[in-house]
Amino acid sequence: MDLPNDLIAQPDVVLLDVNVNTRAAALRAVHTPLALVPGVNDEARFLRDLQERARVASVCIAAEVALPHARTSAVDRIVLGIGRLEAPGVAFDAEHPQVRLVFMIGTPKQQVEGYLKLVSSISRLLKTEGVRAGLLAAATEAEFRALLVRGAGA
Amino acid sequence: MKAVTDPAALLMRRLLRLLRWRLWIQEKLQFTEWQITLLWAALAGFLGALASLLFSVLAEGIHELLTGYNSGVVETMRQLPWWARILVPAAGGLLAGLTLLFGQRLTREQSSTDYMEAIVIGSGDLPVRSSLLKSAAALFTIGSGGSIGREGPMVQLAAMMASMLGRWRQFSPPQLRLLVACGAAAGIASAYNAPIAGSFFVAEIILGTIAMESLGPLAVAAVVAALTVRVMTNAHQLYRVPAFTLNSPWEMGPYIVLGLVAGTVAPWFLRSLRAAERWFVGTSMPLIARLVLGGIIVGDIAVFVPEVCGNGYTVVLSILNGHIAWAALLLVFVAKWVATASTFGSGAPGGVFTPTLFMGASVGYLFGAAVHTLWPTGASSPEAFALVGMGAFLSAATYAPVMAVIMLFEMTLSYDIILPLMLCSVLAYYTAKGLEGQSLYSEALKRKTAAIPADLLSTGSVRDLMKTKPETVPATARFAEIARMFLTVRINHLYVVDADGRFLGAVSLHDIKPYLGEPDLAGLVIASDIMREDFPRIGPKQSLSDGLAAFLGVTAERLPVVEPESGQLVGSLAKGDLLLALVEKRKKTEV
Repeated sequence: MDLPNDLIAQPDVVLLDVNVNTRAAALRAVHTPLALVPGVNDEARFLRDLQERARVASVCIAAEVALPHARTSAVDRIVLGIGRLEAPGVAFDAEHPQVRLVFMIGTPKQQVEGYLKLVSSISRLLKTEGVRAGLLAAATEAEFRALLVRGAGA
Repeated sequence: MKAVTDPAALLMRRLLRLLRWRLWIQEKLQFTEWQITLLWAALAGFLGALASLLFSVLAEGIHELLTGYNSGVVETMRQLPWWARILVPAAGGLLAGLTLLFGQRLTREQSSTDYMEAIVIGSGDLPVRSSLLKSAAALFTIGSGGSIGREGPMVQLAAMMASMLGRWRQFSPPQLRLLVACGAAAGIASAYNAPIAGSFFVAEIILGTIAMESLGPLAVAAVVAALTVRVMTNAHQLYRVPAFTLNSPWEMGPYIVLGLVAGTVAPWFLRSLRAAERWFVGTSMPLIARLVLGGIIVGDIAVFVPEVCGNGYTVVLSILNGHIAWAALLLVFVAKWVATASTFGSGAPGGVFTPTLFMGASVGYLFGAAVHTLWPTGASSPEAFALVGMGAFLSAATYAPVMAVIMLFEMTLSYDIILPLMLCSVLAYYTAKGLEGQSLYSEALKRKTAAIPADLLSTGSVRDLMKTKPETVPATARFAEIARMFLTVRINHLYVVDADGRFLGAVSLHDIKPYLGEPDLAGLVIASDIMREDFPRIGPKQSLSDGLAAFLGVTAERLPVVEPESGQLVGSLAKGDLLLALVEKRKKTEV
C-alpha cells in the first residue's frame, strides 16, 4: 500500500469554503470533523498539539498553503484532513497572510518516516501543474477529490 | 517552471545538494567509526616510521660525533685505542645523565613517559618534552656504544607521535590508548622491518588480546610504518641468513632440549638485569654517576671484547652466518651478558629486545655446536640452532611465543626452520613461565599497575568513557539547520534538547536522507516533528555492561548519556570506546 498517495487521494476529511477569520478558527474548523474519524483517540489533545505546533514555528509551505501537523499520541494512525478557506484566506503568520488551503496531519509519535513521506507527497502534489489552482477553483467536493486523485497519481 | 532567484533559497538548495552528495559518498564508501580509526592508525604508522628513521639517523650522527667513525658500533670500537674504548661509553653515560638531569628540571610536572604505562593503565597521554629528553639521553647511550637496544626509544618516539595525533583530534581515552598502541606497533615494525611482529608485539604483550577491535588498527599502523621505511630507505629483511632445513626428524630431539634450555636461561637473564638495577640503585650514587659507571664497565669489557658494544646485531649476523667460533662466542656471550646488565642496571634509557635476540642466538649456537660435536647428525648446522634459539629465548623472555615465531620468520624470511622454531618457542615459553612467572615486560607493568589507586582500575561507569558536549539542536531547529549540522559534523544522530538542556529525542540522518532534495521541507519541518523520542539512552552512573546492553539491537554508533533524575543530556557514549574499554578491563583483571 502506498500510504501517502492513498491518503492524499482519499483523505479522511474534505471541507470546502470554510468561512473563518483566524488561524485558531481555521484549525478548529478542520479539526472538528477530523477528530471524529477512526484513529483519533483524544480529540482535545490532538487540537492542543496542533495549536502548540503552529505556535512554535510556521506550518506554511507556500503563500496560500498551510500544513498544520502534530506528532501526537492522540492518534493511532496517520490522519489527514483538507480544508479550503474562503477568499481572501486567513493569516497563519506574518509571512503567510492569505492561507486558503489547509492540510491537517496527525501522526503517531513513532511514525517519523510516514510523516515525512506524507509531507513530501503533499509538497509534490501542490507542485503538479494546475493542481493548486484547480484545488482553489474546484466548484464541488467531487471535483476537488478528483484533483487530489489525479495529483496523487501523477 | 519558475526559476528560483531568492539568494537564501538558492543557498538552501545548494546546501541540500551538498549534503545529498556527502551522503551518497558516505553510503558508497561506508566509512564507519572503525574505518575512521583505521585511517588514523595508518597516519600514526606513517608518523611513527618517520620518528624511528629520524632517531636512527641521529644515533648514527651522535656515534660519529663521539668517535669520529661512521661505521657500525662494533667496527668502531675495534678501531679505537684502549683508552678511547673506556672513555667513549663513559662520556655517553655522562651526556645521557646530564640530559636526564636537565630534563627532570624542565619536566618536573609531567606524567610518566612509558608508552606501555600510557597504553595499559594511563590515559594514552605521553608527554612530549619528557619523551624527547628521554630519547635524547638514549641517543648518547646508544651512540657511545652502550650495550642496549635502540628499538626502545624508537618505539617510544613513535608512540609519542601517535599520542600527539590523538590529543590533537581529541580522541577519547580508549581511542587514544589504541592509537598510542598503534604508534608502538609502528615503532617495532619500522625498527625490525617486521610489520606482523610489530602488531603482535603490542597485541600479545601490551594489550593482551588479539581481538580485531585492536589488532586491525595495529596491523594497519605496522604495515604503513614498514612500507614507509622500505620506501625511504633500502630496508630488507634484518638478518640475511643461509637457507636452513630440517635435515632429519631426529634433529627435533635436540631442538626440544634447546627449548628447555632457552626457557631456563632466559629467566636468569632477566633476573640478572633486575639484580644489576638493584645494585646500581643500592650504591646511592646520583643518576649521572651511575650512568658514567655503567659506561666505564662496558668500556672496560670492550677493551678486550669490543663485540659487547651496541645492541648485538652484528654479532648475531656473524653467528647466523657461521663466522664465529664457539669458543670465541662463549667469551662474547658472557661479556655481553655482563655489559648489558651494566648498561641496563645503570638506568640508561634504551631497549633490551635486541640484546635478548643476541642472548638467544648465542645460547642456540653454543648448544647446537655442543650437540654437533657429540652427535653430528643430530645438529648438522649449529647456525640453525642459533636462529631457533633466538625465537625460543625471545618467547621465554617476553611470554609472547606467537610474536616470537612471527618476528623470527619476518626478520629472516627463512620458512624452512618454522617447525623447530614453533616447537622450541612454545616449550621455552612454558618452561620460563613455570620457573619465573615474570616476563621482560610483565614485571614493569605489574609494578605500575600496583602503583595506581585500586579504584581507578575498578571504575567502569559510562561517565568514564562518555564524550561531553555532544552536538545538539533545539526542538525548534528547522530542517535546513539540521541538514547543515549533519553536513558539518560526522554523526548519524543529532540530539534534540530543550532550553534547559534536557534530552528530548534524536533526529536520525537515515530518516531525513530521502527528503534532502525538497526545499519545501526546509522551512516547514522542525526537529520536534522528526525526532525519535524513544531513542535509547543511558545514565552516566550505569556500568559498562549496561552500556553494552543498551547498544544491543540498536544500529547507532553512539548513545546519548542522560541524567535519569533531571533528564539532562550530559554526553554521548561511543560503541567503539565501550568495546575497547571492556577489552582493556579484562586485560587489567588478568594483570
